[in-house]
Amino acid sequence: METILSIQQISKRYGRIQAVDRLSVEVKKGDVFGLLGPNGSGKTTTLSILLDLVRSDQGSYEWFGLPPNKESLKRIGAVIEHPNFFPYLTAVKNLQIVADIKDKNYEDIDRVLKLTSLYERRDHRFRTYSYGMKQRLAIASALLGNPEILILDEPTNGLDPQGIAQIRTLILQVAAMGITIILASHLLDEVQKICDHVAVLNKGKILFTGEVRKVLAISDSFELASDEMEKLQQVIMLHPDYKSHSAQGNTIQVYFKGENNPGDINSFLYRNGIVLTHLAERKRSLEQHFLELLQETL
Amino acid sequence: MIKLLKIECKKIMTYKVFWILFGLYFFFLAAGILMAEFMINHMVDGMNHRLPIPLPHVTLYYFPEVWQNLAFFASIRYVLIFPAIIVIMLITNEFTYRTIRQNIINGMSKGEFIVSKLMVIFLMAVFTSLVLGFGAFFIGVAHSGLNEMAILAKGIPFIFGFFVAMLSFLIYSFFFGFLFRNTGLAIALFTLYTLIIEPIFYYFLKSPLVFKNQISAYLPVNAAIRVTEYPAITVLKKIMGLELQRGISLTTCAIPLLYGSVMIAMVYWIMYKRDL
Repeated sequence: METILSIQQISKRYGRIQAVDRLSVEVKKGDVFGLLGPNGSGKTTTLSILLDLVRSDQGSYEWFGLPPNKESLKRIGAVIEHPNFFPYLTAVKNLQIVADIKDKNYEDIDRVLKLTSLYERRDHRFRTYSYGMKQRLAIASALLGNPEILILDEPTNGLDPQGIAQIRTLILQVAAMGITIILASHLLDEVQKICDHVAVLNKGKILFTGEVRKVLAISDSFELASDEMEKLQQVIMLHPDYKSHSAQGNTIQVYFKGENNPGDINSFLYRNGIVLTHLAERKRSLEQHFLELLQETL
Repeated sequence: MIKLLKIECKKIMTYKVFWILFGLYFFFLAAGILMAEFMINHMVDGMNHRLPIPLPHVTLYYFPEVWQNLAFFASIRYVLIFPAIIVIMLITNEFTYRTIRQNIINGMSKGEFIVSKLMVIFLMAVFTSLVLGFGAFFIGVAHSGLNEMAILAKGIPFIFGFFVAMLSFLIYSFFFGFLFRNTGLAIALFTLYTLIIEPIFYYFLKSPLVFKNQISAYLPVNAAIRVTEYPAITVLKKIMGLELQRGISLTTCAIPLLYGSVMIAMVYWIMYKRDL
């Protein structure tokens, strides 16, 4: 697959805070790429560097295999942090300005307004919009003129559940059109539902990057119980993939390295003279994975 | 260039605050100009009670002096500050609404952004000068007799002088807008500098406390408003012993424009240096 964005070792420091720390990422065409991290982990700074708003101290990046230039930016639709429009202008006028800058046709304005369910309110001033509508208008402006990439920074921040659902459906629709998406979010659930690739950020560093599907598929935790709990705890430590375990009431929770299926675990224990009374596979969510990764770096 | 102008037009066309302030500016400017003669003569009458030889009434609206007089009144700092505040708002709004960020994200370069604001300033200065020029022409025609009509064109360069003053002054405010980014702060500091700090400096430099110097003439705001230094009032010459200004000197025009150029360069530097 064609590489759309490649970042090499970018860093940005604000005073004593290292906002972005030697960050390298590659995004391929058609990816729905999640940039996941807690608030202040460097997501917005990273996107701001990629969009020419902030100068990086070190490192370089390339859009479409080209060094940074404004023509590349015209092929990208992006919303950073808040929806930024003139409050006294109508949605249509605001979008006309966007279209002018991007050298795009006004004819596309109706399409993006319909796509974001704002067509009925197109001649109302931006000021009169609810927050959800403002967010949708921001996405509409980003989608104007069929960009090759859509960049969204916390698009559901501050929205009610209905608004969140609308935005997510919209993002999935856009992804289905084959547009590459980069989504920054501190919500794991959001990344889990929308993205196929993810980079987890903390303190400006990438902790982990990979396919969301693979991260979620790792069944690294099992809940076990037996009539002979003490023997079970001794035997399980002999398993070649054993990593750690902890007692939890009448059961123990065991972590393994790599992928294991329940059948293999059961037969291993049976061969070692343990009869299980309880065996449950606990799929690790991105959330747990994320928290673990964060803890490891603290 | 045309594209940038088109974008600026969209930003301004339905911006009510801009039109209201610009309208008010023209209203006060016109009112001030039309009342000036009456006010001055009222003062003259007041003084004449105490003077052994009464002073004659002034006339402001005859050709060719009308050009110079209107240029002078329109260049007063209390008047110029109006359009300057409008310019500051047009620039700081972009930071307040964060539309400058969105413009850059959408593929407008920082240079293009600066140029588009400069074009607005230039057009504002051209438009105001044209209005002033036509105003002076009609006022002149209404007051002058045939003798004066013959020398009508002599004072036209003063309108160009006003254009230079206005353009430079607006560039100063443009600089404050980009430097401080915050509407209230930029307006407050610009007003403070223009109306208080620089006049204090001016009188300090002219006072006997310091060595005799010419620096006061080179203070930025002063340099701009002194392109048309005095109104063409003969009484002034008599009372104050001032030489009447014959025309606009290119050197006096060059000083504020030089300040303006330096400020534009600094805006470029600030914009490329700072993060948005």
